[in-house]
Amino acid sequence: MGLPLFDARSDPGPSFFHYAEDAGLSNASSADSAASPHATTVVAIRYNAGVVMVADRQATGNYIASRDVRKVEPADRFTAIAISGTAARGIEFIKMAQLSFEHYEKMTDSSLSLEGKANYLSPIIQRNNLSTPLIVLPLLAGWDPSHLVGRVFEYDGAGGCYERYDFATIGSGSPFAESALRLGFRADLDREAALELGALALYEAGDNDPSTGGPDFVRNLYPMMVTITESGFQELPADEVGARFKVINDRRTQSGGVAGGSLR
Amino acid sequence: MSNYFYVSPEQLIKDRAEFAQKGIARGRSMVAAIYDVGVLLVAENPSASLNKISEVYDRIAFAGVGRYNEFDRLREAGIRWADGTGFTYSREDVDARALANYYAQHLGDMFTEGQKPLEVEILVAQLGNKIRPTKLYRVAYEGTISDEPRFAVLGGDAETIRGRFAAAEESMHPLKETLQNAVNALAGAERTIDVSDLEVCILEDRGDRRTFQRLDDAHVSEILR
Repeated sequence: MGLPLFDARSDPGPSFFHYAEDAGLSNASSADSAASPHATTVVAIRYNAGVVMVADRQATGNYIASRDVRKVEPADRFTAIAISGTAARGIEFIKMAQLSFEHYEKMTDSSLSLEGKANYLSPIIQRNNLSTPLIVLPLLAGWDPSHLVGRVFEYDGAGGCYERYDFATIGSGSPFAESALRLGFRADLDREAALELGALALYEAGDNDPSTGGPDFVRNLYPMMVTITESGFQELPADEVGARFKVINDRRTQSGGVAGGSLR
Repeated sequence: MSNYFYVSPEQLIKDRAEFAQKGIARGRSMVAAIYDVGVLLVAENPSASLNKISEVYDRIAFAGVGRYNEFDRLREAGIRWADGTGFTYSREDVDARALANYYAQHLGDMFTEGQKPLEVEILVAQLGNKIRPTKLYRVAYEGTISDEPRFAVLGGDAETIRGRFAAAEESMHPLKETLQNAVNALAGAERTIDVSDLEVCILEDRGDRRTFQRLDDAHVSEILR
């Protein structure tokens, strides 16, 4: 790879995606795949100081391929990206997003706005999903430093970007997670309540959806829980996450596996 | 009938070198130095937004002196090259030496074949780790690349500043002393440079993947106090 110099008319600017396309670094292939399209559950919940995200860690093909996949990654200090869909494409998508935001920052000596980041991803998703069967559906959540709020953006299969003011879910476990969120969400959630609701939503999804991994007390592997606030992306330590799921699990054990008519 | 005058290659090279040197001498100079735990880059730059120093990669920084539009294009190309290489292979495969070589090739080509030589000097700095050493590569307008052992001075008045800085920096110091010496060397005895006319950046490990840090005026004043 030589020095990528461009003249003023063909310059791709600070967009790494456009540069990578021009330079042939990232090739959209149309290989067929039997991978299940959305086998995942990730939830993002807005609360009074930011966003909570909870993601399961199971990769599912015809059998369980991995139990410790990270489906949420920091895209930069104040944003997190979660993926559902084809693992290979999802991982490349996260890499492209991380690199793109950093690239923009280095090229222009300023950060993209959160909305700028959300919009930037749209054509990449559209390009991938409309040209290959290897669908990727991400979720973007972040702390918006110019408006001092946490914000959540979800995407449709064609790359359409929609801001959600309450919560968003992606993956095959969505119906179950979403039901819990719809019942439990309030506009004034604090961190503790948001974490509890997020864990419960994921527990429901793990309980009902075969492609979503719930808490694994045998292997000590638990869903990922992160917060994105004024102080940036923070991942909760595994033992804290384990303790939270243990509480839910113990309650369910006592009630014989039924939620019991209340959100617990 | 057109008239072509014979110009000897020696004369041609001399004219081109003179042209480039003059262009570079019009701008302010910069100093880069290795200090005890990092790399310091200091440029005299009255503009707070048209930067001479930039982050390129996790452990690599760029600095340019001379014509802004020319070195800024090289800076952008360097960031693209680094991000592209890291994306294709891995982050640890991005090496400052390779980038400095590309700059040297390009500047050399422009010097001999271009419409005019580029009126810039480039510095590529790398903060070392387990697999790579700390390095300062200086690339001159005609494509000469030099591996500077402890510090490098770029710009029109480089020789004088180099002399002043070498006298002060006989051994490696902490950031505070190194910055003080660099500013004194840039200013000379008769002049003081206001903090707002300094652009100061460092490469230093702070536990993050990215080691580049731009120090704002308040921070620089505090270090110099």
